Amino acid sequence: MSFTPSLNLHEVYVVVPAYREADVIAETVGTLAECFPHIVVVDDGSPDATAERACQAGAVVLRHPFNLGQGAALQTGIAYALEQGAHYVATFDADGQHAVADLKKMLGVLMGNQLDVVLGSRFLGEPEGLPRVRLIALKAAVLFTKATSGLQLTDAHNGLRAMTAEAARKLEITQDRMAHASEIINQIARLELRYREVPVTIRYSEYSLRKGQKVRGSVGILVELLVGWLSR
Amino acid sequence: MIIKLLLISLLALLALFVALQRVTSRGVRFTVLTMLAIGAYFVWRPEHANAVAQTLGVGRGADLLMYLWVVITCSVILLLYLKIVELNRMLTQLARRLALSQPIHPPDRSKP
Repeated sequence: MSFTPSLNLHEVYVVVPAYREADVIAETVGTLAECFPHIVVVDDGSPDATAERACQAGAVVLRHPFNLGQGAALQTGIAYALEQGAHYVATFDADGQHAVADLKKMLGVLMGNQLDVVLGSRFLGEPEGLPRVRLIALKAAVLFTKATSGLQLTDAHNGLRAMTAEAARKLEITQDRMAHASEIINQIARLELRYREVPVTIRYSEYSLRKGQKVRGSVGILVELLVGWLSR
Repeated sequence: MIIKLLLISLLALLALFVALQRVTSRGVRFTVLTMLAIGAYFVWRPEHANAVAQTLGVGRGADLLMYLWVVITCSVILLLYLKIVELNRMLTQLARRLALSQPIHPPDRSKP
């Protein structure tokens, strides 16, 4: 695992899907903007001031006319990044649970190792303040991912990702809502993309826990995946 | 006798409505009209429905119709569901095009 000494962050577009994140989006974008010149916030039909605050903080904002879901928002942001000629695309959660330093580390790994995708893993890293129920749910997601895609990952639902433009072009997120995380992994397996997991630190603040997926969401994700498979 | 008249006039109204539809394909209209005609016939002659049911091994004509109704309803629900999924997909693409066509740029673009 080697680092490229000169990360050219101008080639990177950071996609931040956001829904009802007016309280934290400015901080998240502000922290990112200290390193990254290209930040794309996809406002997924928020009724609050998410779009305005993201824009004020220095991000290009794309607005869905109504709420479509995080998967759809990611796909929109990725499409924009590719249109703008991005060499690398990263995804970053809006709620401030990811660390910019981790993303830079992941990009270093991506650029220096001829990989297609680098995924953040909170279980290789140090989860801060992760409740046990959520830990069990996330571990179950890992087992599910292994069973359906065959990929041995330690963390199936991490919003922190970095990929090359080429890989981003091949990925096609059709799961509009939360099942997109599993879908991305399935596509990594199917397209035989070269991937690696990198340990990242997730900060579980009270805010991100309140906003994050609930455990019962896992069942919903399963249903979404099944439906997607049925209607193919 | 009253129920027969009532049901048959309802079916006839439905048939008229379907026949006047310009949007649906000819095949669909033909199928629906045929089914309505068979329905009207069985309303008029329930003993024939009984005979058909018995040949198929079902007790009464009414039971046979109920079983068919369940099967048809389930198929229609499934078809409608798939249609909704498809419409959702199109809606997502439309919303995405819209979002991509109107990016909002930050006020200060002189930053490095």
